[in-house]
Amino acid sequence: MKKNLTTKLNNNSMNIPIVKYSKIWLSMGLVVSVLSLILIFAWGLKPGIDFTGGSLLEIEFNKERPAAEAVVKIFEESGIKNTMVQKVEGNSLIIRTSFLDEEKHQEILAKIKTVSEDSDLIENRFETIGASISKQLRERAILSIIFVSLAIILYVAYAFRKVSQPVKSWKYGVLALVAVFHNILLVMGVFAVLGKFKGVEVDTAFVVALLTVLGYSINDTIVVYDRIRENLINRGNRAFAEVVNDGLNQSFFRSINTTATTLFTLFALYFFGGATISNFVLALIIGVGVGAFSSIFIASPLLAVTENWQRTKKLW
Amino acid sequence: MASNLAPKKFTRTQIRWRVAGSFALLLLCLVIVYPSAVNSSFKFINEKLGIGVPLLPDNGFNLGLDLQGGAHLIYQADTISIPEADRAEAVEGVRDVIERRVRGGLGVAEPLVQTTKVGSDYRVIVELPGVTDVNEAIGMIGETPVLAFKEQNTQGSREMTAEETKEMNEYNKAAEKKINQVYVDLRRINFTDAVNRYSEDLISKSNNGNMGFITEMQYPEIYEWAQTHKNGETSKTAIKTDDGLSILKRISEKEGQTQVDAAHLLICYKGAERCDSALYKNKNEAKAKIEDLKKQATANNFADLVKQYSTEPGAYERGGDLGWFEKGDMVPEFEDAAFATAKGQISEIVETPFGFHLIYKKDERVTKEYEVARIFVKTKNETDFVPPAEEWVDSGLSGKQLKRAEVVSDSRTGQVQVSLQFDTDGAKIFGDVTSRNVGKPVAIFLDGQPISVPTVNEPIRDGNAVISGEFTWEEARLLAQRLNSGALPVPIELISQQKVDATLGADSLASSFKAGIFGLILVILFMILYYRWPGMVSVISLIVYASLTLAIFKLLGVTLTLSGIAGFILSVGMAVDANVLVFERLKEELKNKKTLATAVEEAFVRAWSSIRDSNITTLISCVFLIWLGTGFVQGFAVTLAIGVIASMFTAITVTRILCRFSFAWFKPEGNILFLGAGKSNEEKSNNEIK
Repeated sequence: MKKNLTTKLNNNSMNIPIVKYSKIWLSMGLVVSVLSLILIFAWGLKPGIDFTGGSLLEIEFNKERPAAEAVVKIFEESGIKNTMVQKVEGNSLIIRTSFLDEEKHQEILAKIKTVSEDSDLIENRFETIGASISKQLRERAILSIIFVSLAIILYVAYAFRKVSQPVKSWKYGVLALVAVFHNILLVMGVFAVLGKFKGVEVDTAFVVALLTVLGYSINDTIVVYDRIRENLINRGNRAFAEVVNDGLNQSFFRSINTTATTLFTLFALYFFGGATISNFVLALIIGVGVGAFSSIFIASPLLAVTENWQRTKKLW
Repeated sequence: MASNLAPKKFTRTQIRWRVAGSFALLLLCLVIVYPSAVNSSFKFINEKLGIGVPLLPDNGFNLGLDLQGGAHLIYQADTISIPEADRAEAVEGVRDVIERRVRGGLGVAEPLVQTTKVGSDYRVIVELPGVTDVNEAIGMIGETPVLAFKEQNTQGSREMTAEETKEMNEYNKAAEKKINQVYVDLRRINFTDAVNRYSEDLISKSNNGNMGFITEMQYPEIYEWAQTHKNGETSKTAIKTDDGLSILKRISEKEGQTQVDAAHLLICYKGAERCDSALYKNKNEAKAKIEDLKKQATANNFADLVKQYSTEPGAYERGGDLGWFEKGDMVPEFEDAAFATAKGQISEIVETPFGFHLIYKKDERVTKEYEVARIFVKTKNETDFVPPAEEWVDSGLSGKQLKRAEVVSDSRTGQVQVSLQFDTDGAKIFGDVTSRNVGKPVAIFLDGQPISVPTVNEPIRDGNAVISGEFTWEEARLLAQRLNSGALPVPIELISQQKVDATLGADSLASSFKAGIFGLILVILFMILYYRWPGMVSVISLIVYASLTLAIFKLLGVTLTLSGIAGFILSVGMAVDANVLVFERLKEELKNKKTLATAVEEAFVRAWSSIRDSNITTLISCVFLIWLGTGFVQGFAVTLAIGVIASMFTAITVTRILCRFSFAWFKPEGNILFLGAGKSNEEKSNNEIK
């Protein structure tokens, strides 16, 4: 059995020296993460009404839609501030404003009908979220991110419990999470840019996308680690970095192909799935796409670098 | 490890059975997902052969509000004024009131009204699928519950004024004139043209006057005429009904329902439904009595036995006579026995929730139904001018004067009752009302609907009353709760509202369906082009996966939302991951010059730990999302989780068995259809050169 595996390793058709250039990949990852962090702190993410409380109206007009300023004026006359009007495909407007009770909502709808001289306009969507609900949604979003991260570290530590040499099993979990947080920072960085220039908001759906990316990228990383774990059992006297690099090469096409199939479905959703979920899907596309990169070029080089550090400098 | 790696050996027959099993699973799932395809062929068979193959239930998927349109409302209950111990019950009361209002008032068939507690806040969540006028719904829900005590109306409706009588007579004279004109015209033009020119019944008019098959219940006067005339005949004079004059034409006749004329004798016992008699303490006593009566009963003495023994109220006056009835009028057990018994015979003993019965079947007949067309001209009658008298009138007593309602049990009989306490004002009004109505019923209305109609036994002046009826404890509790919430409504405030128009919902459904199809096609193309033969295998297993997942959604009643469908479509992409893992392994094994059969077994065994670990992390995310999330989040996480579990199952069962089955068709070292096969020599030499 052992012999079999060794021949197989030597026999491997492909051998891209990825681990050899660890420092390049890791510095690239670091630059991306730091840049994202700067963008997130400088511009911030634009919170949606889920998290701030407020209202969203989507109105489809039969006649020519009124100008944005005219609509804002209607809201101001009724004592409602912070109104933003956005033109969307078809002859519709999306209006974001503060919390409206039903009385105000009807009052404003009536006024819009008068101003646009369009009494048959269709209110396709109306959402209004009070402060107590948005507070609850905020708290739950934060809690779920914390819980999911903790649960995944614990699981990975458990799954790798048999491989404690030369790198401790819990470190696999932490390193996998480091790679994943790189992805999440990047998604958030992109949304900070989109928020600044396109007014894209982050809502509950965005948090769900982040958590899905978290699960999915960890999944990707685990497969690579799993292959390295298998190779380590039959390591012989080969260098750790070499074993890692073999594992990477063996799972290279799997990572690419799995990501490709997932991206196919996501792109189909992005282009045909309608506007309601397009930002949600966009966050998934970025996260999943980067996930393949980070499991190959970040997670595994990190593993090799960690082993090198603890061997030479006795760190960790 | 070694034992794990040793591939299990299956005989060819075992493999064939498993392949058949996989296809059976696929077929079953498809039938669950799309039963109308099967049903239409069943219908065809039924029509051709005249046999009754039962049709499969076709319930469709549960669609969320964002896909079918509707409103999602969250109310916060203001419970500050209520003692902490009573809050939960008070909010439940609000929930009941809201549910009654949206069901009754708005006619929403399947509203979801539930209470939740977030921190110390009580909330009521209302989901109204398909509601178009959310504003009206909000208005109706927000009303304060109205409790009212009413007494019987002793005054009839008012007389018609002279002016109204004159108007009515003129209107009806004009109608008769019009009918005469129709008869004149009917000599020149045919019936259908006359319908189109004159008929004022818009429904039948759109169908050339055809009213369809009518029964005696629906139109007694028209039915009577049709009975005495032949097909094709037209009535010589107009037939008068409550609302107008009809010129009729009989078109055809057919056999309608079978009806039975019967009388019955009931022996009920304490605890049976609607049993007022305490004559028989338990089921056994009642059973003994009915068995005794069964021995004596004949067609001749049946009426006398009923008068003497039946516990049914009014049995003495009517002799237990039920008149003509048809299927669907009575409880099933009773009906079956009545129809099965021969004419003029006494039935076997029948047990129903009401007690034990003997049925005397007097007669049986098959009714006729007639297809009739008409030319209708409307007339007016008194009720068009004067509204019919209200059955109940307000007594001036309402929920405002009710202090408290609670469930009590009578200390002597143990009967469950609801006790009412009025304040001083209420006590005075209630005293007056009860002294006016001794021996008569008084009705308690909640939101305009009678919830209890007790009979007053004696005047009550101390402001305390009990409503005694045939309550179960649960019913009494519910009533008390409703009365309390009528008297002490918890103020509610709308804190969140989401509304999606039905057309937008339908658009979303259509576009996500399209996205799903495109995604699936892209994945299928990729797998076949890249992995070749094993790719084909994975496509079959992907189709099994998709139908299995949809079938599970349907069987578990998972509510599909837009996010849920996105989760499902995403899981299609992820489902092939397990196959990719295995096929990459297979490629390696084949490069190592293993035979197809060995390579595929090893590939599955070695890939398993990766498949398991990677899917578990996704499941962990899903579990927390389901646990912490609401609405959008849960919809997504539930479908993704079901998808991930189903994909693991299909990857390690269906893909595996199809690989075992189909790989035997190829030569052991594989060919161009297998990635990695036959290449290794060339590559090995490359390695050696390096």
